[in-house]
Amino acid sequence: MRFGAGLWCLQATATTPRHHTTAYRQLLEDAVALETFGYEGMWLSEHHFFYDGYCPALLPAAAAALSVTTRLRVGTGMLLLPMQRPERVAALAADVAAASGGRLDVGVGLGYRDVEFDGKGVPRPDRVARQRAGLAALRDVAVPAGATIWNGSATPAGVARAGARGQGVMLSGANPLSLVRELAAAHRKGWESAGRPGGTPPPVAALRNVWLTEDAAERRAALDWQRASYVLYAGLGWSVAERDSTPAMDFLSDPSGAIADAVATTIIGPAPAIIDGLHEVAEAGVDYVIFRVVIEGAPQAALHHVLRRLADEVLPAMSTVEAKTP
Amino acid sequence: MRIGLQLPTGDVELAARADAAGLCAVLTPGTAAGIDSAVAARLAARTSDIRIVVRVRLGVEHPVTLAEEAAVVDHLSGGRLVVLVDTADLDPAAAAEDLALLRACWSGRMVRHVGPRWRVPSGVMGSAMPATLSVTPKPAQLDLPVWLDGAAAGAIDSGLPVVARSFAAASIAAQVQPAVDDLTGDLDTDRRRVTAWAEAGATHLLVRVPDDADPEFVHAFVARYLVPETAMPHLPRVMVESPPPLPWPRGASAAPTMAPTSSGEDGPHG
Repeated sequence: MRFGAGLWCLQATATTPRHHTTAYRQLLEDAVALETFGYEGMWLSEHHFFYDGYCPALLPAAAAALSVTTRLRVGTGMLLLPMQRPERVAALAADVAAASGGRLDVGVGLGYRDVEFDGKGVPRPDRVARQRAGLAALRDVAVPAGATIWNGSATPAGVARAGARGQGVMLSGANPLSLVRELAAAHRKGWESAGRPGGTPPPVAALRNVWLTEDAAERRAALDWQRASYVLYAGLGWSVAERDSTPAMDFLSDPSGAIADAVATTIIGPAPAIIDGLHEVAEAGVDYVIFRVVIEGAPQAALHHVLRRLADEVLPAMSTVEAKTP
Repeated sequence: MRIGLQLPTGDVELAARADAAGLCAVLTPGTAAGIDSAVAARLAARTSDIRIVVRVRLGVEHPVTLAEEAAVVDHLSGGRLVVLVDTADLDPAAAAEDLALLRACWSGRMVRHVGPRWRVPSGVMGSAMPATLSVTPKPAQLDLPVWLDGAAAGAIDSGLPVVARSFAAASIAAQVQPAVDDLTGDLDTDRRRVTAWAEAGATHLLVRVPDDADPEFVHAFVARYLVPETAMPHLPRVMVESPPPLPWPRGASAAPTMAPTSSGEDGPHG
């Protein structure tokens, strides 16, 4: 099993105010810490026009984090591809990939907020066609420069299309494991149905809420910071549609229920409990776990402490564990 | 007059040398694809004090996206960004509109722009959308410096500094008059050149070092001879021609600069 951490969103929120420059300075410090602890990847996230300054330009931020590290990979989870011009975003990704010796993971998503499409002058109905054009440009320009493409999707059809292209998927941390299992299976099936492009199955990455602690007060704090982090999704209006495997999770119409459901996905406790939880994640078909431990505004020392403990006490036990083939 | 460097290849090591040598700014290379935000981000992460002049090429992306990238790099650099807006292939009217939209995004105001090229918010998602837009984060600086370059730059009535490439193009009246020029590596020639730029009214001269220059050139030539030359009238050259002090003895620089107190108040090792 592979491990990274996320999502760096570079926000300054109403409940944890700070200077944005602090957020970007800590991004670079956190990149160095992740590399020192031995993680494979750091993942960033994008939105536009939001009051808290949620990072709107991931490739420059990734370029900076890559320039202060030598082994760490930096990924976009997700870069909202339809909102940029295909040729230019591909050239930008190619530059960042080449300058870092191929350490850029370009995760792409469609976007879902109408106000973002409106601000960029992109009709939302055009987003799939623009995504396709963007992916073609990335494949032609950024992949030869060393970038790796990932796809963000929460539907079986979407992840199957990624599988058919031989590309990895990155799944949301709010998804319950039942949905993760269904999506991992659909991704594998898409790859197989397309004639197994590339020869080896493309990876499934999943954000998971994880916190290692034996301390009751830290446990309460970590879960409450998770709650606070998902209040954001109510503001953004994010939702997961109802499926056979999973009830709907709608942060707009039922924020408290959706927030409680998302927090309930958290794997929290001492190291053996985390290891058990991660085995379940591997059994759902996940190759690469991205610890969703970055809760904007939380003390940096607490973040580094838990990342170091996870690296020391959990990752060695998981190093030979492989995802179950769906 | 202050002196900075052009970075023809975006070389981070050269920028780090310029930063260490105290030059005022580095200028990103300028790429046809208009993707200098990536190199500017690397320069931001790998330097600490020097100003980063990022060339933002118009016409390659939606101005809102270009503005967002610049704001992010301004934060990555702790507020050290200068945006050099390059009008590239746009005519003066088109460039003026894109420039106005960029500056609206960096202002403290909500954005509402209606012009021949852009409408922000666009209205493509229907009438339920807000009539204004907040482009975030705002830059770290209260007023992001904007300079202009390119064929249409001189025809835009913005009051912003326009990069000079000839002495005649420099304005002695401008508060900020950036200029660009190439160095030859010949001390007398380059001394006369930078002095002439200062006399023409340039305030910030961004020089290109000769392609075959030694890595020490930034310290040993630009910072040692050219920066002092334009830093005061009648520079007493005896100071710059005096040999630099000896390298500090190996190991001595690792010694603590302040001896710990012996009072014991700072803990067991105090």
